[in-house]
Amino acid sequence: MGPLIPNGVIPYEWNNIIAIIIGIVFGFVLEASGFSSSRKLAGVFYGYDFAVLKVFFTAALVSLIGILYMDYLGYINMEQLYVHPTYLWGAIIGGVIMGVGFVAAGFCPGTSLCAVAIGKIDAIVYVIGIMVGIFIFSELYTIFQPLYEGYFYGNITLMDSFGINRYWFVFVFTIIAILAFVISDLIRKRRKKIFY
Amino acid sequence: MVNRKVAKVLTFRYKILAGIFLLLAAGLVLLPKYEKHEGIKPEELLSNAISPERYISTDELANKIINQDPSFIMIDVRNETEFNKYSIPNSINIPLKKLLDIDAIGYLNQSQYDVIFISNDHFYADQAWMLCNRLDYKNLRVLKGGINNWYLTIINPTKPTENMPAEDFELYSFRKSASMFFGVVYPEQLKVEKKPEVKKVTPKKVIPIKKKKKMPVEGGC
Repeated sequence: MGPLIPNGVIPYEWNNIIAIIIGIVFGFVLEASGFSSSRKLAGVFYGYDFAVLKVFFTAALVSLIGILYMDYLGYINMEQLYVHPTYLWGAIIGGVIMGVGFVAAGFCPGTSLCAVAIGKIDAIVYVIGIMVGIFIFSELYTIFQPLYEGYFYGNITLMDSFGINRYWFVFVFTIIAILAFVISDLIRKRRKKIFY
Repeated sequence: MVNRKVAKVLTFRYKILAGIFLLLAAGLVLLPKYEKHEGIKPEELLSNAISPERYISTDELANKIINQDPSFIMIDVRNETEFNKYSIPNSINIPLKKLLDIDAIGYLNQSQYDVIFISNDHFYADQAWMLCNRLDYKNLRVLKGGINNWYLTIINPTKPTENMPAEDFELYSFRKSASMFFGVVYPEQLKVEKKPEVKKVTPKKVIPIKKKKKMPVEGGC
C-alpha cells in the first residue's frame, strides 16, 4: 500500500501541501518542547540538559520500529522509501561544521527558524549566518565541487554496507538508546543544576 | 491533583516507555520471517503468460523489420558464438546468463520499445521472458519458434503444392519476398529475363493554341 504518494493512494499534487502541514506541525512541536531555546539545545554539550538527545533518539527509534512493523505487515514497501545518498567526506566535513555551529550558537538549522518565528535575536543572527554560508558556498562552488560530489557511495544503508540483519540492528540500537538515556540522566544528576 | 496511585506509576513512566521500546524491538527480532514476494503477483504473471500478446510470429516480425517499424528491439539470448554465426539483422545479443547484468537493464527495463526475445527455439527466450516478467519489466514478447522457425519460414520457405489454398500462396509470396529482403537469392532471379521489345510510340505533338484573353469590362455606366 505505502508509501502513499508514489503508489498513488494520495495524488501527487498533494505532496507540497502535506509537506507544509507536516512542517507546521513539526515547528509547533519543536517550539512546544522548548527547542527554540539555544540554552536547552546547547545543554546536551555541557551536560545539564539532555532533552535533544532523548527527543531525537526517541524519534529515530519510533520511526525505525514503526516502519519495520509496517513493512512486516505489508502496509509499506521499504524498497520504495528514499535513502539519502552517501557522499562520505562531504558528509563528514559538513557534519563537523554543523556540529561546531551547533555548539557555538545553540541551534540547528530547523530549530533556528523556529526561534526566529518567536523573535529571538540570536536566532536571527544565526539565520543570517546560514545565508552568508550558503552564499559563500554557492560562489565558491567550483572549489567545493569535487568534495561535494566526490566519494559517492550510492544510496547505501548500514544494513547494506555491514551486512547486518536489520531486526537485530534495531534491537541493538534500542539497547544503545536506552543506555544513552540512563547514562545521560546520571550525568545530569551529577551536574549542578542550572536555571535558564 | 493526580491520583496518588497514578502518580506513583507515573514516576516510572520513562522506565515503562523504555520497556515498551525493548519489547517492540525484541518482537521484531523474534517475529517469524517470511520471504517477501518481490516483483509482480502470480495472478498477473499467469495472465501475462496466457495472453496472446506473448508470442510474435516470424511473419509479423519480418513484416515489422521490412517496414522499418521503430517500436521494438530484438534481444537475442543465445550465446555469442551462435549469435555471430547467424542473427536477425539489428538484433542485440544479451546471452541468457548475462540477462540480469547491469548493462542489460537499460535494454530490458524501459517502456519505450517492445522487447522481442529470440533464441534458437523459443525455449530460452521463454525463460528470459519469464525472468523479466517477474522483475515487472514491460512490453515483453517472444519470437515463436525462434531462429529455427525464422529459418524455416522466412529464409527458406517451403513452396506450397498446387492443391493448397490461395492464402498459402499469398503467404509464400510474402515469405519469399521477405527472404529476398534478408539477402536470399533465388535461381529465377539470376535469369535475365528478356524483355519483349516495346515499340516506341512517338506521341503526337500537340500545339496548344493560346486563346486570346478577353479584356475585362471596364468602366461603363
